[in-house]
This record gives sequence, structure tokens and C-alpha cells, in this order.
Amino acid sequence: MTTLLETRYRAVLRLLPASYRREREEEMVETYLGDLDRDTQDQSRPTLAEVASVAALALRTRLGGPGAPFRYALLGSAARHFALCAVLVQAAAALVDRVLEVTWSFTRGASERRLFLGGFTDRGPSLTVIAVLDWVLPLLWTVAYFALVHDRRRLARAAALGAALPSLWPLLGPLVSDRVPPYPAYATTGALLAWVSALTLCAAQHRDAPPARLPVGSPGRLYLAGCVVMGASVVLMRGVPDTVWAPATGFAVGALGWLLWQARRADPTPPGAALALAALGLLILAVRIAALVPWLGVPEAGVLVVGGLGQTAVLAVLVAALAMVGGRELTRHRDG
Amino acid sequence: MTAKSMTRAAFFVLTALADQPRHGYGILREVEELSDGEVLLRVGTLYGVLDRLTADGLIVLDREEVQQGRLRRYYRLTDDGVATLDAEAERMAAGAGAAKRRIAEGRAAHPAPRTSPGHVPPAAPGLAGGHA
Repeated sequence: MTTLLETRYRAVLRLLPASYRREREEEMVETYLGDLDRDTQDQSRPTLAEVASVAALALRTRLGGPGAPFRYALLGSAARHFALCAVLVQAAAALVDRVLEVTWSFTRGASERRLFLGGFTDRGPSLTVIAVLDWVLPLLWTVAYFALVHDRRRLARAAALGAALPSLWPLLGPLVSDRVPPYPAYATTGALLAWVSALTLCAAQHRDAPPARLPVGSPGRLYLAGCVVMGASVVLMRGVPDTVWAPATGFAVGALGWLLWQARRADPTPPGAALALAALGLLILAVRIAALVPWLGVPEAGVLVVGGLGQTAVLAVLVAALAMVGGRELTRHRDG
Repeated sequence: MTAKSMTRAAFFVLTALADQPRHGYGILREVEELSDGEVLLRVGTLYGVLDRLTADGLIVLDREEVQQGRLRRYYRLTDDGVATLDAEAERMAAGAGAAKRRIAEGRAAHPAPRTSPGHVPPAAPGLAGGHA
């Protein structure tokens, strides 16, 4: 007769994919129950540590662990591509944003310099610390990117989580003070982009996952190219850029280049790459729209709105194209 | 899996299988005993390690048995598994030997100062506030 503990443990095992359960469930139940006294099995339940170990196994199996079926291998590959591209975009955007800000502040006279430094110093000691961390931590995206491409997974995970932290502050502010984020939709979508990227990296680059691989070029050149494109897009389009302009342009140029490169290649695309880019594009599109909405009714912001709308349209078309390529790629891999 | 990247759990699982094939529960108990209770593998963790070692060709399924209506799978080391475990054990022994040699050299170069019988090291401030 089945004991209550066995029933409960089998319920925990339902976290695992069905294919894995078919192969392993009976064996795992036997291993778990081992030589436990049958009389006490109706009074106990799986410990949190046991549940956590099964949950971790479930996550790894779903994200392309050893011997994973096609569906999960594809999901794992897509998640790794997503994490790599998302980290690259945010790494380049954070660096460009700060370099341009410092350059502008220190080459436009004393008032600009005071304005920049005042952002850190004019608000009391605790807010100064927060302002400094807010400025510095996003640079950890760069650490996460280079750690990822050099297969230093722990460092990459820690750096990505650290880099994503400041995106939470506008959302946590109302919990500890009367301060409400001025643009809640923008703050929420920005946090979503940062945390989905960081958490996907943590989950997808597990120990059994293959190392992150760039589809083309060397890590340094790609990073530099991203910085140049983003920086140039801000410098050349004065009046148009807002905070989303540079990363959205960087993504658009990169995704377009990838689509053209793939169209000219005879080899099949890596599984899940197009879907990963489509998902990243969708998140950036959401941030783009959220940043644009508050300006729609402002008469002085005409150029910014036109630029933002144009960028929104380009991103929407790219996301649709990437999703279409991803769908085709999915069918080809499934049939092949 | 290279010896360099082997986790502690994988090392103990391979060690547990070094003398004979074992099933899941047997591996859990053996790992606990081999590590003096320091490595307590959970079932989910064990199967993650077994999947990885199987994928790397270090262990294979030896046989299946049904005990009291439940499935037991026995695993054993492959030749590659034996070689990898041997290499890892050599690497760890070399590291431990180097550490012991350095400690001995350090002790020889800087012998601990002798204390005279009855001498008590200063522990409390002296009368003037400093140590006596």
C-alpha cells in the first residue's frame, strides 16, 4: 500500500518534465524511501531541502540538461541566447550612457559639472550612497558579459544580479518613503527587462549547460561595436534620444544585422536564437513604449515623440520578423 | 568532465562506485559514510550528478532489480570513470602533499618561540593601560 510520504514525494516529482518522470520516477521514489520505517511514513513529509533539490533538477532538465529531449534542449538554447544578447545590450548601454554623461558634464562648464556632481551629493548621506550605487552597479553588466563569454558562470551570475539591483529602487522607494516613481510603467518594464535577463542567465547557465557562444565575432569586438552604434546614435541624433534610445537602436541594428547574416548563410541557425532575439526585442519594445507614453501629450517633445514612434515601429517589425524566422526554425529542427 | 571541474558531490559518487555497482540509495549512504557525514546528497541532487556522469561516459547502468515492487538501478564506473577518478585522487593527493610540505617548511624556518615554564602571556592591560 502506498504511504502518505510516498504520495507526497510523487507530488513533488511532478515538478519534473513528464519524459524525465517516465524514466526516473520509480527509481527516485525507491531511492528516497530507502530504508525509512514504513510505520512513520504517514506522519512525515519531504523536507524543504528535498523539494528544493527536485525543483533545481526540474529547472536544469527543462533548460537543456544532459540527455534532455528536443523541446527542452531548444528551450535551454533559447534561454542562453536570450541571456547573452540581453546582457550584451545592457552592458553596452550602461557604459555608453555613463561615458556620455561624464563627457557632457565635464566639457560644458562649471554649471553642468555641478549639476552632475549635485546628483550624488545634494541629497544627504544615505541617498548619496544610493545615487552612487545606482550609477555604478549597472556597469556590472559588462563584467557579467565578459564573465559569461569566458565561461566564468558564477561571476557572471553574481554580476548580473548586482547590475539588475538598481532597477528595483524606483519600485521599492514607495515602500520606504512617500516617493512615488514618476513613470511607474517605465520603471516596471525597465525592472522587468533587467531581472528577466539576470534570472534567465542564472537559470540557463547552470553547471551542465554548454558555454555561452556568440553567433559571430569576438566578444570584445562585438561589445565595442555595440558601444559605437549606441554612442553614435545618441551623438548624431540630438534632441531625439531619451534613455531607451541607445539600447533600442543597438538592439535594432544588431537584430537586423543578424537577420541579414542568417539569410546569406547556408547553415541552419542555432536552435532558439531567433526566438530568443524576438523575446528580447519584445521586452525592449515594452520599455520603449513605456518611456514614450508620458511624452505623447507634451507639445515641446515633438522630435522626441516622432523619433520614439519611429523606433517603436522598427522594433515591432523586427520582433515580428524574428518570431517568424524563429517559428520556421522551430519547425525545421522538429522535423529534422 | 575534466578532473579540474569535478564537484565534490561527483567525486564522492564516483568514489562510492569504485569498489562495486550500487543503486541510488546505496550511493547516498556510501557518500555520507565516505565523507564522514559532510556530504549529504538529496535525491534531486544525486540524480543531477548521475545524469551528468552518465552523459560524460563515466558511469553506466549495470543492472536493474525489482525489490518489493520498486525499481532499483545499479550503476558502475566505466574505464573512463576509473581513470577520471584516479586522476582526481592523484591531483588531490598532490595538492595535499604540497600543503603539508609547505607547512613543514614554514615550521622549520620560523620555529614557534619557546615559553618558560610558568610564564603567562599578557592577556589583560597593565597598570598604565598598556600590556604588562
